[in-house]
Amino acid sequence: MALRELASLEKYLGLKKPNKYSSRGDKKIPVLQNNNGPPLVGLVTIARHLVKEAKQPELLGEAAEDRAVVHQWLEYRVSKLDGCNKEESRTILKDLDLYLQDKVCMAGNHFTLADVLMYNGIHPLIMDLTFQEKERYMNVTRWFDHIQHRAGIRHHLPPVVVLRNRIYSAKHP
Amino acid sequence: MKLFISEGNPHCLKVLAALEEAGVQCDVQFVNHEENLVPFLSRPSLPALLLPNGQHLFSPNAICRYMFEVSGQECSEACDQWLEWEATDLQPALLQALHMAVLQGKELEATKVLAGPLSYLDQSLTKANTPYLTGDVVSVADLVVCAALHPILSAPSLASGDHKSVRLWFDRVAASQSCVSASHKVLQGKGLQAMKSFMQRQPAPQSGQSRGGTH
Repeated sequence: MALRELASLEKYLGLKKPNKYSSRGDKKIPVLQNNNGPPLVGLVTIARHLVKEAKQPELLGEAAEDRAVVHQWLEYRVSKLDGCNKEESRTILKDLDLYLQDKVCMAGNHFTLADVLMYNGIHPLIMDLTFQEKERYMNVTRWFDHIQHRAGIRHHLPPVVVLRNRIYSAKHP
Repeated sequence: MKLFISEGNPHCLKVLAALEEAGVQCDVQFVNHEENLVPFLSRPSLPALLLPNGQHLFSPNAICRYMFEVSGQECSEACDQWLEWEATDLQPALLQALHMAVLQGKELEATKVLAGPLSYLDQSLTKANTPYLTGDVVSVADLVVCAALHPILSAPSLASGDHKSVRLWFDRVAASQSCVSASHKVLQGKGLQAMKSFMQRQPAPQSGQSRGGTH
């Protein structure tokens, strides 16, 4: 899955020559064969590398503080989101919902690599939600819908239907 | 900029060591394990850094990376790779090992849980043949990995003769002023026992194999 995600990211970034990847171990950690040096290992490391290769450093954050926030969510994706169980996934959704309450994107107002990786990582969780649950995590759903409609992001993943109008009670249960 | 840490929390070792090494001006405040300083997280998470722009960092590695960056030392790709390895491979094993060693007194099992990540680290260091993980100078990756392993590798009961390159590298990094001072502040010379109250508040770790990794 990580390999398809990286291939989609390459397309989004407009990289012409596709890279060669393999995966390592039970967790299928992606490995990028690099002609100019040792191979790069790990989704976050490779994704950051691709962004630099495409000369779009703004996707890693403009100021040092933004770059730290972007990095934090990249790490969150691979260390917390990936492989989370059902109970953990509910805590993640709840926390993200509160976090996104006053934000358009993961790092505030600007779209970054954190949105791409968090979108990919959270996709299976959102697919599992009922409409009613999607309303409970309204801010996550709004952010998710915004990202999936961004040109060139969705690629290999199926779209998730999000209702723009509330059909259930406005009060959280 | 304000950094919140708690005593006996192994993640706080990392950020204090990075703060000292980077030489960044920052208020440091010791708080209780239970204090929840990140407004959007449901569980208390320390260390926490309140950034000048009002945002919060709750990931120790992101905090360390930021400290180095504001001091003018950018993280290389090799360095990023070690940070990712630390967060995804080493941490789950470490949490399990600390749980066993600190709360259950199962020290032999704890060393077994860490054998995989330690062998990987050992092979990489042997192959690179450099004093530090990413070359001839200490990087944020050295501090993060060294501080993460600090409680285990400094415990006499858990010491083993294996992993010679790890031992040489660890002794080198752990002897630095920043690591010595950070460990003194967080563990107060009490070793593994200093972490007891912190470990008791952590959810029991899942066994390493049950986590699915990347989908």
